[in-house]
Amino acid sequence: MYLYYLILNFTTIKPILMNTKLKVSEISKIYPGCIANDKVSLEFKSGKIYALLGENGAGKSTLVKILSGVVKPDEGEVFLNNESIKLNSPLDAKKNNIGMVFQHFNLFETLSVFENLSIDSDKKNEDLRLSVYNILKKYNFKIDLDIPVLNLSAGQKQKVEIIRCLIRNPKVLIMDEPTSVLTEQETEDLFISLKQFSDEGILIIYITHKLKEVLSLCDEVAVMRKGKIVSVSKTKEEKIETLANKMVGENLSAIKKKNNNFKYSEEILKISNLNFRSEDPYETNLINLNFSLKKGECLGIAGISGNGQSELFQILSGEIITDYTSIKFRDKEISKLNPRERREYLMAFSPEDRISQAAVPELKIYENVALNNFKSSNFFEKGLVNEKKIKEHSKKILSNFSVNTDNVEMKSQFLSGGNLQKLIIGRELITSPELLVCFNPTWGLDVGAINYIHETLININEQGKSSILISTDNDELLRLSDRICVIYKGKLSKIMDVNEVTPEKLGILMGGGSID
Amino acid sequence: MIKIEKRNDVSPSIYFLTPILAIFLTLFGGGIIFYVLGFNPIEALKFFFITPISDLYGFSELLVKATPLCLIAIGLSFCFKSNNWNIGAEGQLIFGGIVGGGVALLFYGHDGFYILPIIILSGAIGGMIFAMIPAVLKTYFNTNEILVSLMLVYVAKLLLDYLVVGPWSNPEGFNFPETRQFSEASRMPVLFDGLRIHAGIFITLITVFLSWLILYKTYLGFQIKVSGLSLKTAKYAGYKGKTMIIVVFMISGACAGLAGVGEITGPIGQLHRNISPDYGFTAIIVAFLGRLNPVGIIFASLVVALTYLGAETAQIFLQVPKYTGQVFQGMILFFLLGSDYLLFFKIKFLGLKKNEL
Repeated sequence: MYLYYLILNFTTIKPILMNTKLKVSEISKIYPGCIANDKVSLEFKSGKIYALLGENGAGKSTLVKILSGVVKPDEGEVFLNNESIKLNSPLDAKKNNIGMVFQHFNLFETLSVFENLSIDSDKKNEDLRLSVYNILKKYNFKIDLDIPVLNLSAGQKQKVEIIRCLIRNPKVLIMDEPTSVLTEQETEDLFISLKQFSDEGILIIYITHKLKEVLSLCDEVAVMRKGKIVSVSKTKEEKIETLANKMVGENLSAIKKKNNNFKYSEEILKISNLNFRSEDPYETNLINLNFSLKKGECLGIAGISGNGQSELFQILSGEIITDYTSIKFRDKEISKLNPRERREYLMAFSPEDRISQAAVPELKIYENVALNNFKSSNFFEKGLVNEKKIKEHSKKILSNFSVNTDNVEMKSQFLSGGNLQKLIIGRELITSPELLVCFNPTWGLDVGAINYIHETLININEQGKSSILISTDNDELLRLSDRICVIYKGKLSKIMDVNEVTPEKLGILMGGGSID
Repeated sequence: MIKIEKRNDVSPSIYFLTPILAIFLTLFGGGIIFYVLGFNPIEALKFFFITPISDLYGFSELLVKATPLCLIAIGLSFCFKSNNWNIGAEGQLIFGGIVGGGVALLFYGHDGFYILPIIILSGAIGGMIFAMIPAVLKTYFNTNEILVSLMLVYVAKLLLDYLVVGPWSNPEGFNFPETRQFSEASRMPVLFDGLRIHAGIFITLITVFLSWLILYKTYLGFQIKVSGLSLKTAKYAGYKGKTMIIVVFMISGACAGLAGVGEITGPIGQLHRNISPDYGFTAIIVAFLGRLNPVGIIFASLVVALTYLGAETAQIFLQVPKYTGQVFQGMILFFLLGSDYLLFFKIKFLGLKKNEL
């Protein structure tokens, strides 16, 4: 019996080819205005798959960029097998056998697969081809080496990137949000390959914000929040709920401050059957969204960025027109109208990208104000610019929304982020619209500006105007929304009253889990 | 290590002064070329840039050349300002010439004050229609307007070639590839006896004024400006991108067509194979040298027109080929782009072993 066990053990022991230890010690990286990594220390050993989990902006990407030599840390050291290594450039990472597959592929679309692989390889072409064939055979990858990369699916492109790393016999393989562009089947294939690499002794660090993937793939998980490591644990000991809590933070519910006294009155906006299908693999398809909005209500849409928020915003604003979708605003069908026409119906929009979309830095303040133009504003009479009118209107915005200047001739590139956002929100709100759609309105702003914008947004609800707040900031959502739902992979969760929402529930839904 | 960084703010005065710097650098570069060819550079440059305009006739010739260049460049500025790259003004010029010339031949032997306006109008419409081909293909089929507009130049050239050799060739012309001389009623009035300067210059000046009005004082101009700076913003503001593409191409094509019809009813007086010495292409240089600004374009067209004249004088007095003119045009563009690069970017030289920036 004992002998039998022994044999069984022998046969199941896999040859450990490599024994790698990677350690980061007290790594700090400070960007102007935010601490991306705050004394981060972690240890990884080969044979295991490690998850690095966190929301957007938690500092995961900065950490892996440091490991791959793209970003240099302000403080701290990286040790590979107990030796301190210097990672000043991606080349140093390659020399130390650290391979990295980025979320966005670095491939030349018009070159063939093999040409792409040979670009940064110093092997002779015949040798390279041989080793690539071996890799293809070993891991059962099916890729034609001599067709242009543009003919490959996203999953195949990712395999090319992986092969590029494998050629160099990596000790460490870092995968940055690898499943964001993959289908379900491709994701499964990827997981099989990753487990195989891990069994062969390659140390795998897997960056993600998807909780399910962590539980199904990884052995250990480190959670980051606001630049710090908040927990390191074995995935066996974790559940989706516990991870979600750690990722989102538990101290959130404290800052709700909404006086929920409005009447659920008439319905102002009704969206039915919203579907959007994109050719671009980096865009998210939206699948059958249905929701409605009451007068004086703020609907919060939570989610980790890249789950369809940008597409949803553009459909609401009219930048993207989709077939079959019905958008009824105050009982009028507006789904085929462009943004300017929608403004005539008293809708207003504040996009996420305030620097290159909501305003043009090279234009003067009053010219940026003129971007939000409709008939009653009389900015353009009989096709001519009414500069005087626009300037008067701009002055009003600057003073009403306490923008830190009264010079409407100033180019808006000289405004700080907070003041620019005040200008944009002011421009959208001074016409007292019935509905404001805003997308990450306080992204990257300082506390003072955030509070000002939050007060403004609460104010409009109190005046009986409605708003849709698409945001990746949960604090903000819980503070401002009356009802909240979560968007995940282009699908909308059920809409919940803010009182029944906990950060934990949000976290689960944002990571693709389900509640009840 | 050399690091190239974008400059945050470029002062407007320097922005408009760099074209002048580029012109001086071109003179300097031209001097070197003449020196290498064995000429006294000062003398040669004098032949090139001063002799041609030292008398009244020469000055009139300068305006004759500047008229189409300015007109086309003004039209192109609408396209370029809104991020539409119309490279085919030469084709639009030729097609405008063909349509206008066709109408002129139709009125052959007739007399009447109404004939010339009809010809001019039909030339503008011809150019406009020809420019709408790349615009419509771009808006509805997402084609690249650079390629389409450029390739259509050769279509127009070959069409002109066919017409002057075949159906429209002068019955009494001994098979020369040219049409009849247009009747007097189809010709642009000459402003002064003995000089070639013609009424087309007024068309150009009116167009410049109208363009200034449109670009700086109208909603359309504002939309063009915003689209040129950020297409995303234009979309967000709800400007009708497709309509605007077609409108700017129409304006641009109409201007090129006008230039074409101005040439054939003005100095040329008939259709033949070479109705334009690449005015349509050279106008691209004019547009950029003038910073896409109507007033700037007037000055730029005079400078570039001078290179045409200079090349002719240099051919006579220095026995260098007239293509020297194109060398100078090329140098102007080269130095303009070069100084623009230094205007918008700064180059930092860093120590080799420096780790921190």
